[in-house]
Amino acid sequence: MSTNQTDIREIARAAMKSALAKGAKESAATVGRTRNVSLEWRDGKIEKIGEATTRRLTLQLYVDGRYSQVSSSDLRPEALDTFIADSITMTRVLAEDPFRALPEPALYEGRPSVDLQLDDPAYPTVTPEQRRKAAQQMEEAARAVKGASAILSVSTGFDDTRTESFHVASNGFEGSRVDTVFFVSASVSVKDADGRRPEDSSFGGSRFLGEVPATAVVGREAAERAISRLGARKPPSAVMTLVIDNRAAGRLMGALAGPLSGASLQQKRSFLEGKLGQPIGSPLLDVVDDPLIPKAFGSRLFDVEGLAAKKRPVFEKGVLRSYYIDTYYGKKLKMAPTSGGVSNLAWTLGTRPQAAILKDVGEGILVTGFLGGNSNGTTGDYSFGVQGFRIRGGERAEPVGEMNVAGNMLELLKKLTAVGDDPWPYSAMRTPTLVFEGVQFAGV
Amino acid sequence: MSDNRGMTRRKAMGLGVAAVGSVAAYDILAGPARALAITGPGTTAGIGYFARFGVTEKLIQGTLGEALSSGGDFADVFFQHQVANTYLLEDGAVNRAFADVSLGVGVRVVKGDQTGYGFTEDLTPEGLRLASKTAAAIATGPSRPAPVSFHATGGLPARYAVKTRWEDVRPETKLPLLRSVNEKTMGADPRVRKVRVYFVDESGAMLLADSNGQIVEDLQPMTIMGLTCIAEQDGKREENAYNVAARDDISYYSQERIDRVVRECVKNTMILFEATPAPAGEMPVVLAAGSSGILLHEAIGHGMEADFNRKNVSIYSDKIGKLIAKPFVNIVDEGTQENARGAINVDDEGTVAGKTMLVQDGVLTTYLHDKISAKHYGVSPTGNGRRESYQYAPMPRMRSTYMLPGPHKKDEIIASVKKGIYCTRFTNGQVQIGAGDFTFYVKNGFLIEDGKLTRPIKDVNIIGNGPKVLELVDMVSDDLAIDEGGWTCGKNGQSVPVSQGLPTVRVASITVGGSTGKS
Repeated sequence: MSTNQTDIREIARAAMKSALAKGAKESAATVGRTRNVSLEWRDGKIEKIGEATTRRLTLQLYVDGRYSQVSSSDLRPEALDTFIADSITMTRVLAEDPFRALPEPALYEGRPSVDLQLDDPAYPTVTPEQRRKAAQQMEEAARAVKGASAILSVSTGFDDTRTESFHVASNGFEGSRVDTVFFVSASVSVKDADGRRPEDSSFGGSRFLGEVPATAVVGREAAERAISRLGARKPPSAVMTLVIDNRAAGRLMGALAGPLSGASLQQKRSFLEGKLGQPIGSPLLDVVDDPLIPKAFGSRLFDVEGLAAKKRPVFEKGVLRSYYIDTYYGKKLKMAPTSGGVSNLAWTLGTRPQAAILKDVGEGILVTGFLGGNSNGTTGDYSFGVQGFRIRGGERAEPVGEMNVAGNMLELLKKLTAVGDDPWPYSAMRTPTLVFEGVQFAGV
Repeated sequence: MSDNRGMTRRKAMGLGVAAVGSVAAYDILAGPARALAITGPGTTAGIGYFARFGVTEKLIQGTLGEALSSGGDFADVFFQHQVANTYLLEDGAVNRAFADVSLGVGVRVVKGDQTGYGFTEDLTPEGLRLASKTAAAIATGPSRPAPVSFHATGGLPARYAVKTRWEDVRPETKLPLLRSVNEKTMGADPRVRKVRVYFVDESGAMLLADSNGQIVEDLQPMTIMGLTCIAEQDGKREENAYNVAARDDISYYSQERIDRVVRECVKNTMILFEATPAPAGEMPVVLAAGSSGILLHEAIGHGMEADFNRKNVSIYSDKIGKLIAKPFVNIVDEGTQENARGAINVDDEGTVAGKTMLVQDGVLTTYLHDKISAKHYGVSPTGNGRRESYQYAPMPRMRSTYMLPGPHKKDEIIASVKKGIYCTRFTNGQVQIGAGDFTFYVKNGFLIEDGKLTRPIKDVNIIGNGPKVLELVDMVSDDLAIDEGGWTCGKNGQSVPVSQGLPTVRVASITVGGSTGKS
């Protein structure tokens, strides 16, 4: 399948040229092709298998000072020809927008020449039998843990994807990318004495088949996590220390991504507006946007617009150092574009593991999962459902659930008092265990 | 999970993100049609719309033959063509549009409760053969024959009959709607700083054929218009949003509806300046009629989807036939409301969608079934087998979920609460199917003090446990309202449009996730 690389390049170049020939002043095209194979396993047998290869063209059109973006899965040349012509006609009826333009070509320059190691050449060698075996092993590991008699059901899965894409812009950009992802997951349901059936999971992935998390560990962890939920109770409402597990902590960073974006700033809907260069969190909040971490899930040599990837500090000892600004909102805000989207977040880590952190904390709540809730990007107010464990005497104690945390993000970030040594590697957020003091919990 | 960001993920990503996108020109539908005109002999009564893509009875028969070549019990093939246009107004002008065309086909093979699934955008016999071969691999046995003749499913309801097709409405007709909403919003209150309006129209078509010889086609239009308003007062900013959605055509956008969108959005934004932080802890909660139906979606709807019960992992797995709520609680899931966002004539497995009672007189009665779970339980499918697109196998999903009117009055319910909250607007919710814990996020509400609505509150999550909360629903009013908003339900990575509704309801006690201790 790697030999098909030329094919998507030709489709993209032809679509862009066709747009220019039909009256677009500038244009950019992206063609992606993804092959995904998935196997789901449940209680001793295959639940579902799926496989497909899918393609899609996305085209940006700059016509008479007007802009549209169109996409199609119907890539037959004659269908595309009509589609592009019709799209240009549609674009002409929109309002002119003087801020719309392709990126400054200077920002395409300096693309790093490192090998990010995102593409496993062994991808085509995965067999259905390998997937089935991995899924089965996870179930076996789950059912081998202490307390497994409470297990109602075990679901596991193996999922592998290879994505090729090619981006071309009429002002001189061309770039291609190939990446692979292998993902394993296990989910376990257990029966509680009161009729509840709590469920928890374990999952992880890698760019390379040989580095997929050990199935025995994933299966065991899913079962242990689910069994540890048995007997969960709603705790009293109180102000307490909040410790967030590394896997769960990405949710908080997700709530900052919107307010850090150029679109939110320009639309007056960001509580971080005007805060560049100011301290907004405790000095422990120290995070770099790093697109160049080998094998990581957010790594890239250029962003979605083609801007060459660069490491940038986002928070430096609590001070806000940069926003996520794309070309369009950069022009509207009169700010230099950085990149419109998060790559990987590289945290300045603490030196202690979570267990040692719990010892320091003494009393509080360890949050291991979020349930719903939302945050208001304009004001910074947040309110999230959470579950986890009480921390008593420096140890993880009884499970708690049906509980909520609420406050304001600006206040919360100032309350960050410890950072773990344990970045969660299976998400681009790469969050370590985080500790916040004095947070309002709602329960009974 | 349910949210009201108004658009599916793919469309939402198209707004403001450079490489993914959606929305198409007014006559884009004609593109593939002109390009792939292989109609004529071989097409049959059941194949109307999809004849333009070269879909014939022979092609379907060959596909099902390949799908059953390893001995599956059942197979179906799902063709889909969808054209979506999105227009966005920002900073006073409709200055961007997104168009998206999706054309593809998915092939499913079922063996017992096991599923094989393949899909492709290549509608040639060879493309379909490869997808079928993938799906067939779920079974290992001697081949079974495909049907030799097909019958069209007749007498389909017409719950969203297409009067004016979206592809026949020029953008010049749609753009003034967005401009009008912008002008009215800017003029409604001097505190308005920014206005964002989006408009989506979608022409969807599906064809389902299966190994029982059934062929059914359905044209499924959809439209959404949404408004976001950002206001400023004394250096503070607040934001709120309102949207309306329906399976309807351009006539949906009456003057009255547009005025209501503006009025509600501005009102719900300005009141945020007066709002005080919500309290934290357990208290009585009154849910206003309408979008509070999110309570049912999370507290019971997902848990009643039969796939979770067939797998024994739902908190409702052993509760059929049991009294789970007060006798005046009746909960329905149905696809029959004309032009509703959650309405469907048939589900994505070809079952005509009717009305399903989840709870009758307080007793849990029926799960929501697709064909796999219906066979498992030995019952008829309920028309809840839905999928996001041809890229996914169907599973049990909600349609329009609501509670029937009860014996109480709204005023009486509010007057009954000494200290609690009243919730009017929501953004999103989520549930854990097995543990039963669920949440929903309240954007607007009021404190209730001594039986009266007092100070406004905002931005507070509510968390409860499904069966426990249903037991605690102790008052139900007679004022059922189905919400007109663009709700989208997410499950296992698939989004589908849904509706929801509720009369005014009191929950005797539930945890309110505020930021101030209970006073």
